[in-house]
Amino acid sequence: MATNADDTGPKSENGFDMGDPELNRHPQPGYRMLRDSGPVVRVAGVIPSRASADAHLVGRHADVVTVLRNPDVFSSRFDAVHIGQVRPLIPLQIDPPDHAKYRKLLDPLFAPRRIALLEDRTRALVSDLVEAVADDSGCNFHAAVSEPLPSTVFLELLGLPVSRAAEFIALKDGIIRPSAPTPEERSSMVDDAGARIYAVLQEVLDERLETRQEDFISDFLDAEVDGERLTPEEVIDICYLFFLAGLDTVTASLDCMMARLALHPAERRRLADDPSVIPHAVEEMLRWETPVTAVVRVTTQDTELSGCPIAADEVVSVMLGSANTDERAWDEAASVDIDRRVNKHLAFGGGVHRCLGSHLARMELRVVLEEWHSRIPEYRVPEGVELDYSPSLRQIADLPLVW
Amino acid sequence: MRLDRERCQGHGRCYVLASGVFESDDDGRGMVIAETVPLVYQESARLGSDNCPEDAITVIDD
Ligand code: HEM
Ligand code: SF4
Repeated sequence: MATNADDTGPKSENGFDMGDPELNRHPQPGYRMLRDSGPVVRVAGVIPSRASADAHLVGRHADVVTVLRNPDVFSSRFDAVHIGQVRPLIPLQIDPPDHAKYRKLLDPLFAPRRIALLEDRTRALVSDLVEAVADDSGCNFHAAVSEPLPSTVFLELLGLPVSRAAEFIALKDGIIRPSAPTPEERSSMVDDAGARIYAVLQEVLDERLETRQEDFISDFLDAEVDGERLTPEEVIDICYLFFLAGLDTVTASLDCMMARLALHPAERRRLADDPSVIPHAVEEMLRWETPVTAVVRVTTQDTELSGCPIAADEVVSVMLGSANTDERAWDEAASVDIDRRVNKHLAFGGGVHRCLGSHLARMELRVVLEEWHSRIPEYRVPEGVELDYSPSLRQIADLPLVW
Repeated sequence: MRLDRERCQGHGRCYVLASGVFESDDDGRGMVIAETVPLVYQESARLGSDNCPEDAITVIDD
């Protein structure tokens, strides 16, 4: 049965309560309540921009997998999320069959083989960032490492000027966390930031149309899918998405992981003593923390999930964090085991839209944990500090660590 | 052992965890190195299969 959530208070666009700092800090018990209330939980009126303003939260692992693997019924089309775009973002908001043609072009660029070539450069960047604070007695990890690293890696990769990193970060923050009092003002802030991102990309694209460089934008211009070149608009729609998908997600994951380790000395020591644990620890922390908590779909027809009806054209919030901690699907779902060997978490989504950047992200996360712990193995969150996590994309803007 | 290429979405868990049994193609999708898994690699094969988020890998005992 679909259950109606009748609690009041601010909700995020995916319908999960965002007013409660404790829920953002420890969402796992909330996920459990969600799963126990039913396979589909309807939250009324959270998406005012739509004719049908309700969100349908899906929290059990089996149902989450069903949604992710059936894109014909649960579509990712244009209106599923509003992030300042004027055309569908590629490939996020493209459904099969067209989706595959873009992934065919993009997958090789982000495959583990290609990403391995970036590891040395990434390590050098991380090492500089860690070195810059190592002789101090503390830092805000978010500002010192989690924010600058992914932006630099990513801007270099794409071919955008790293000297303008601060400006780009401000633009994507304008979209992901617009700070204005009313929904209308927030929505117009998002559109403004979106327009400026389109303008910056157009500028760089025009330069590359003149002269190619060693970067993705140039690669995209020369790439062919099924014998056809991408149009400049398509190149821009790909890059626009990268902006939003490639920066915040890695930042949030790094924040969540370092906070976790700072607050759990036994896990931190195990990992500092034996760096070969790091890849497994990364997967386990991705599972437990699920920094990207949910993805969104729109139903293309009347359907049902585990017996719960969902009408056509309804928004479905696919609660990845809940699926990743569902005791129906996991052994010891509620305990964090950084040595966990069987771990098919969905922190990068699943099905055709599986995160394109997952191999890049995994490399960045591993390299940061390796470099940080080899230089600063002992650190903690200062006494009495309560960390605040942002909702949906779980960043910790103020993450003080001392050593 | 079978790896269903239709289901595989290139999460890369199999070839990272069990590189003796799986390898990656240029797109980052998984491939089995040999359909019949040598005895020493059977545990690896199962580890890869258990970690595939798309349930794309089936290990068949005979
Ligand atoms: C730890 C960091 C990251 C996490 C947790 C993450 C998470 C996700 C998730 C959950 C999705 C699925 C969206 C959906 O199904 O609607 C996704 C898609 C995507 N991600 Fe990531 N991501 C991360 C890093 C990156 C990076 C570094 C890039 C770099 C370009 C990236 C690019 C993309 C793209 C392009 C898509 C859309 C794929 C498609 O629709 O086919 N992500 N990501
Ligand atoms: S783990 Fe599964 S989805 Fe990932 S590459 Fe291997 S077979 Fe494909």
